[in-house]
Amino acid sequence: MTDNSGFSCEQLREIGAELALGVLPAEDRAGVMDHLEHCPACREYVHELTATSDALLDLVPGSEPPVGFEDRVIDRLGLSSVRRPRRRVQWRRFALAAAAAAAGLALGGGGWVLGASVGRPAPVAPIVSPVQPHLLTAQLAHAGQSFGQVYLYTGSSPWLYMAVDADGHSGTVRCQLQRADGSIVKVGSFTLNDDGYGSWGGPYLAGTSPVTGVRLLNADGSLLASATFNQSYG
Amino acid sequence: MGRIGIPLERVPDEALLAGLMTGDPEIAVAFVRRFQRRVFGVAIAVVGDVQLAEDIAQQTFERACRHAQVYDPRRGSVPTWLAAIAHNLAIDAVRARKTTPVDPADLENMMETITDTPERHALSTETAVELRRAVGTLPREQARALVMAGIYGMTAQQVADFEEIPLGTAKTRIRTAMGKVRASLAARQVDHD
Repeated sequence: MTDNSGFSCEQLREIGAELALGVLPAEDRAGVMDHLEHCPACREYVHELTATSDALLDLVPGSEPPVGFEDRVIDRLGLSSVRRPRRRVQWRRFALAAAAAAAGLALGGGGWVLGASVGRPAPVAPIVSPVQPHLLTAQLAHAGQSFGQVYLYTGSSPWLYMAVDADGHSGTVRCQLQRADGSIVKVGSFTLNDDGYGSWGGPYLAGTSPVTGVRLLNADGSLLASATFNQSYG
Repeated sequence: MGRIGIPLERVPDEALLAGLMTGDPEIAVAFVRRFQRRVFGVAIAVVGDVQLAEDIAQQTFERACRHAQVYDPRRGSVPTWLAAIAHNLAIDAVRARKTTPVDPADLENMMETITDTPERHALSTETAVELRRAVGTLPREQARALVMAGIYGMTAQQVADFEEIPLGTAKTRIRTAMGKVRASLAARQVDHD
């Protein structure tokens, strides 16, 4: 296919790799975008190359940032003034790292890699974080079938997130919160793809009555799945 | 009524990102902790300067926080998204410095790391293992061109100058290497479908 600017699919294949890698000089990009806009095949080709380019970065080894990095990021995000007191957190990290060191064990299993100490890149002290009392999870289910998982965060800025895998369902679904006082409030809607997969997250109003469950409704209002939290939380 | 919960490790990356949008400091801390090695690793690999790499890593989290709502899981995982942000910022910083894109010794180290045998990366994802294998089986000059362009953001002209080869040869090496790696990943995808 050759478009109005005279740019062909063959030409695109010549420079697609450089385009996807982000190293194609600006002067060589002339005509590329127009072509991509009108050629789905080349768009898909570049999309695959871009995914390959992104995947290359997975091979770059991780590296511990300098000590204090986390605090400086939180400062930069403007969240340091509302952050919980540091003293307790640091003590806990130290205690856990020290306990791990004393036991001669590396606590793995997805534990965080936390920095401590002074100077140069922080030494690795993998620990497992404690249970978060404000963070809950429950399975989305209906008629004995699992449809995904919901995460509910009931801290100072409450939010929820859900990943849905509902084979045979697609289109818009609505999410509702159930509260202990019997009230039900809509908190958002999102779309399941043709495979029945979708995910969505967002904040919700804390309210005065604790949240007891989450309901997911089909477009026609019928219940797709629901999740119940064992305890009630705001 | 007791208050129980789950550890933050059990929260998927996407859920943590959703929480990040609310501006909750506890979630922000958890998010930074989970991905800081990844983000800083990409930044330091490209710019080779701790101070500049930290600034890039900070900017990456700032952008992630601002643009969390545009994250699309269909286009890649959260760590891949973050690495791409950090990489773009790092490449921009290197280009702004107008210095030599990469030190030859750094390039050699990166080549060793990237084409290392999978056995030493037992915790890598399947895709990363396949990718490492694919890059490792490329002819050396193609793998170098791919790393120079893909990791260090060098243009074909810069690759040509660095390797002292014609521009056309540099372009061919980049294109051929990317084609082979893409085909390898695509074949793996087909195997899993």
